[in-house]
Amino acid sequence: MPVISIFSGTFCREEPIVQGLHERIGYEIASDSDMVKKASNLCGISESKIEHAFSAKTSVFNNFTHEKERSIAHLKLAVAQTLLEDKVIFSGFSSQLIPRKITHVLRICLIADMKFRKEAAAAEMQLSEKDAAALIRKQDEERALWMQMHFETADPWDASLYDMVIPMDKTDVDQAVGAIHDHVKSDLLQPGDASRKAANDFLLAASVGATLTREGHNVAVDSVDSVVTIIINKHVLMLSRLEDELKSIAARVPGVLSVNTKVGKNYHQSDIYRKVDFQTPSKVLLVDDEREFVQTLSERLLMRDMGSAVAYDGESALQLVNDDDPEVMILDLKMPGIDGIEVLRRVKKTRPEIEVIILTGHGSEGDRKVCMDLGAFAYLQKPVDITVLTDTLKEANEKIRKKVETII
Amino acid sequence: MSKKESILQAATWFFAKKGFKDTSMAELSKITGAAEGTIFYHFKNKETLFLAVLETVKLTIINDFDRYTAGKNFKNGLKMVEEVISFYLYLAGHNPDLFMLLHRHDAYELAEVNPVCREYLEDTYNSLVDIFEKAVNLGEKDGSIGPVPARKTALILFTLTDGLVRFNSYNLYNAGALSSELIAACRRMLVNV
Repeated sequence: MPVISIFSGTFCREEPIVQGLHERIGYEIASDSDMVKKASNLCGISESKIEHAFSAKTSVFNNFTHEKERSIAHLKLAVAQTLLEDKVIFSGFSSQLIPRKITHVLRICLIADMKFRKEAAAAEMQLSEKDAAALIRKQDEERALWMQMHFETADPWDASLYDMVIPMDKTDVDQAVGAIHDHVKSDLLQPGDASRKAANDFLLAASVGATLTREGHNVAVDSVDSVVTIIINKHVLMLSRLEDELKSIAARVPGVLSVNTKVGKNYHQSDIYRKVDFQTPSKVLLVDDEREFVQTLSERLLMRDMGSAVAYDGESALQLVNDDDPEVMILDLKMPGIDGIEVLRRVKKTRPEIEVIILTGHGSEGDRKVCMDLGAFAYLQKPVDITVLTDTLKEANEKIRKKVETII
Repeated sequence: MSKKESILQAATWFFAKKGFKDTSMAELSKITGAAEGTIFYHFKNKETLFLAVLETVKLTIINDFDRYTAGKNFKNGLKMVEEVISFYLYLAGHNPDLFMLLHRHDAYELAEVNPVCREYLEDTYNSLVDIFEKAVNLGEKDGSIGPVPARKTALILFTLTDGLVRFNSYNLYNAGALSSELIAACRRMLVNV
C-alpha cells in the first residue's frame, strides 16, 4: 500500500480528513509537529526554532552557521526515516519534502475557494471577514515560499504536483476520505523495486545532508543507488579544499558507496540573496527614453527589493508586455516613436489587468485627464520622491492582489 | 525612517560594496532620492558621511552586544567566551555590510590622517575586545579558565573570530563549517586543566 501525503490550504478540513483516514485504514499520522519533534531529537535544535523553518522569516536562525538549513536537513531525515515505516499519512509542510522519484506516495492536495475558507476561518477563530482574508493570505504566502524553496513552482496548489486535488468546498469529509481510500487500494501506486530503492536513496541522501549540516556545511545532496552527489551552490575560493572535506565527511556515513561533488548552477551567482516580498510587485516594467534616469530608477527599486525590466521606447515596451507579463508598468509620456499615451491605450486594450503608473516630466493637466480616462492607475510628476513611487507601486500591487482574490 | 537615516543606510551599503573612492555622491543621491544638496546639508562632504557611517557601525555593533550580554546570565567565563564567539558570528551573518566595511582598507587608511575616524575604529575594536576580556577575567575568577594573560588572550580570541568572519566576507571557504571547531579550539586553549 502506498504512503499518503496531504498538503492542504488552511481551513480546508485537513484535520478531520487525516483523522478519518487514520481510523479507516489504520495508517499512522506523521504531522508537521511529529516531524519537528523527531528532527529536534536528531539535531538538538529546539522544536520551536525548527518550526520557524516553515515560515518565510529566517531571523531566529544563525545565518553564519546555516541553522535554517540544518533544521530543514533534519526535517528531511525525519521524513525519510518515517517514510520507510510504510502505512503513514504525512500531512503539512514536511510532506512536500518527499522526492518525486519515490512513486509509492499518494499525493493529495486539499483546497477550497476563498469564500469557503474565509467562512471557515471566521467561524473557527471568530475573525472578521477582513481579518480572515488577511490571515489566509499570509498563510498562503508561507506555503508559496515553501514550495518555491523546494520546487520550481511557487504555486502550492499546482495540480501537476499531486495525484488528487480535492475541492473541499464541494466535497464533504466522508466523501474525501472515501475517495482517498479507493485510490490507496488501486494497483497503480503500490511500491515497486525502483520506488523502494528511491526511498532508500532518499534516506541516504538525507543522512549525508544532515551530517554535513551538523558540520556547518550548506550544500544539496542527491543519491542514486547509494552513490552520493554533493552539489555546492555557494562560491568559495578554496574550492578543492572544501570538496575534499565534504567528501571525507560524506564517505563516513554508513551505506555510502562513493561520493562525487559538483558545482551547482547558482555557484557563480553573487551572494546577494533577495527574498521575495509579496507586498511589492515582482514584475515592474519601466518605460522611459532617458536611459540614465530609468536605470537609476531600476536600481533604486532593486534596493527596495523590487525587480524591474526596462524599455527605452514604446515599441519595445509593447514587446515586453507580451514577452514578460509585467504586473505594473511605469510609463513616461514623451518618447520617440509610439508615445506614452498610445502605449497606455494599447496596453489597456489588450491587457487591462496591467496597472499603469504614468511618470512624466512634461505632462499637462489635459494629459493627466486623458491618461486617467484611459485607465491609468496613477499620474505622477517628475521629479518623484522614491517613497511616493514605491507607495504607489504597493497600492497598485494591492489592487492586483484584491482582484486575484475575487477571481479565486 | 527619516531622510538622514535612509541616506546613512544607503551609504553603508555603497561604502561596503564599492568602497570609499568608488562611491559617488551623485549616485547616492539618485538611489536615495535625496537631492545632493540635502546630502551635503546633513553630512557636509563624503568624508563626513563616511565617518557618520562608521559611527553607525560602531554604535550598532556595541549596542547589539550590550543588549545581548545584558539579557544573559552566563554559567561561567568559559561558557561566556563560547557564547560571545557565537554571537559575534551571528551578528556578522545578519549585518554583512557592517563587517564588510570593517574588513575594507578604506577606514584604516583614513584613520591614519583623521583622528575622528581613528577614534571610531578604536572604540569599536576596544568594545569588542573588552567583551572577550571580560569573559576571560570571569573565567579566571570562577576557575573555568586557567591562568592566562587576559588582555592578550582576549585579543587572540577576537582575531580568531574576526578572521573567520573575513573568510566569509571574501568567500574564501565555507566559514560556517569552521564555527563549531573554532569554539572547540578556543575551549581547548583556555580550559583550566
